[in-house]
Amino acid sequence: MRALRQLSARDRLLARGGMLAGLALSALALGLVAVAPAPLPPGAGQPANFPAMTYQLAQNQPDQATFELGRRLFYDPRLSRSGAVACASCHQQSRAFTDGRALAVGVGGRLSPRNAPALQNLRWRHGFMADGGVLGLELQALAPLTSPAEMDTPLADALARLNADPAYRRRFAAIYGPGQIDTPQLLRALAQFTAALTSGQSRYDKHVRHEAGGTFSAPEQRGRMLFVAKCGGCHATDLFTDESFRNNGLDRTFPRDSGRAHITARPFDRGRFKVPSLRNVARTAPYMHDGRFAALPQVLAHYAHGVQPSPTLDPLLHRPDGRLGIPLSDTQQADLLAFLNTLTDQEFLTDQRLTPPR
Amino acid sequence: MTTRHFFAVSALLLSLSAGLLNGCKKDSSASSQPTVGTVSLALNNVAGSKAVALDGTTYTTESGETFSISTLEYYISNVVFTKTDGSTYAAPGVYHLVNVAKPSTTSFTIDNVPTGDYSGVKFTVGVDSTTTKADPLSLPGDLNPANNMYWVWATGHIFMKLEGNVTSAGNKALTCHVGGYRAPYSAIVTAAPSFNGATLPVRADHNAAINLTADVLKLFDGGTRFALSTFPTTMEPSPSSVQVAQNYAASMFTVKTINAN
Repeated sequence: MRALRQLSARDRLLARGGMLAGLALSALALGLVAVAPAPLPPGAGQPANFPAMTYQLAQNQPDQATFELGRRLFYDPRLSRSGAVACASCHQQSRAFTDGRALAVGVGGRLSPRNAPALQNLRWRHGFMADGGVLGLELQALAPLTSPAEMDTPLADALARLNADPAYRRRFAAIYGPGQIDTPQLLRALAQFTAALTSGQSRYDKHVRHEAGGTFSAPEQRGRMLFVAKCGGCHATDLFTDESFRNNGLDRTFPRDSGRAHITARPFDRGRFKVPSLRNVARTAPYMHDGRFAALPQVLAHYAHGVQPSPTLDPLLHRPDGRLGIPLSDTQQADLLAFLNTLTDQEFLTDQRLTPPR
Repeated sequence: MTTRHFFAVSALLLSLSAGLLNGCKKDSSASSQPTVGTVSLALNNVAGSKAVALDGTTYTTESGETFSISTLEYYISNVVFTKTDGSTYAAPGVYHLVNVAKPSTTSFTIDNVPTGDYSGVKFTVGVDSTTTKADPLSLPGDLNPANNMYWVWATGHIFMKLEGNVTSAGNKALTCHVGGYRAPYSAIVTAAPSFNGATLPVRADHNAAINLTADVLKLFDGGTRFALSTFPTTMEPSPSSVQVAQNYAASMFTVKTINAN
């Protein structure tokens, strides 16, 4: 955006003050950019083992100053109605930006109907939320901000609060120019932080990229082979999700949360939820869209012998012998757990650039 | 920077500035021969025989239930005018939010309507699907999600919002939020209030006006009748929200007067 504005400002100068002056100015400006390249915020790159990024970087070009502003907003509880809940309250770095609770807790202790999702690798996502209802990364921040069960602040109030704060006025003006802080500025800045949450430095990543520190033990190696064979149909690619909506057999009926059908209103979608990524999965307990499983062994036990029948149950959970679920012996479950632990990305979980700003 | 780069950049800037100058010339020549006029659309919001006021005034439905209104907001977009010769003009970029709490929003003007005699108008009550699901960073003015006419959780605008209390049913909250653009519960509807044989003359030197009556009783007393005492709290796309939308598309808007001015 800033580059665009510079160009149009230069263009206006040309029209007004003569071409030679304009050309000299633009040459000077381009020269300065070449001499002092701005540092990039974290997570802007494409890890070699990831699929292609879906996010259009050009719509919100990664920029260090905007990232820092987004980071400040992400950790600021004043954006909530009560002044006590920040984005970071439910999205804590050490837990891959989840909160360790079954259901997220918002202002006044109100419970959300769902488990707080991990925030990582969002530039590779297609749609947001367990039901896919939110279409874009910038827009996503508005959901928790305005939801009565979460931060409960109407967007207009959030903007008024920011505009009443001289420090925020200065920070936004330094990036977007003088004037009122508006919706696109707030959403772009917040998305610069959430988009920067790239986790691609786990031992698994190093293993598949043949980098130092990527050694697997025998159980981890066996677990990897089992995972690809038994779980990879849904938890596909090195993002560990195919981004589809599936019914994984948690329940026979879905009276409280119909998942994808809440958005599409199609009976076909009842009980389907977005396949979550399994990156940092050892840190994102409890599990499932409603946080019903406290630990990973319970999740594996569910797939092994807990899958419930319903009309929309995923075909991959129907076995040829008519039984449901994924056959997994105790040894296989232990190997799978060993493998899942290799997806923990310690560098991401402790990256000082993602901590609360000083 | 190399010399080659410098010349490439110079050429780019030269062509950009040339484009800008050409643009200016076209504008000035167009304005010397105006063939367009302005049309005002005014919305006179009523509930039956009474004007809508957000002050506790009560209104009576056909079946005798009474209710008050605390919020009334709706979008009008994609306005299309039909000439007496049958040709049409679709006014680009019209997305207007009527908010009864802000009297200035109950009328708006559409510029650059080609001059001629018009015999009809139609418009979307709500927002078209392409626009409503667009990146909110590209949504300015009345479409801005900050206007509180937006569902983030399903990405899209609330097309019609009526809130109040059913005073004949123990002051039960009346919450009617209509939105949604996905089949089978798309609430994108078109209203085409009849001119009743009148003609709207659009001229370069006048401001023609269409004064519409917008009767919110028709949300509930339309093709589908709703009892307010059992009206479902409508806050997501549903069969009843589509029925409400069909009700207001069919009969909420009527032409009160057409002024040539």
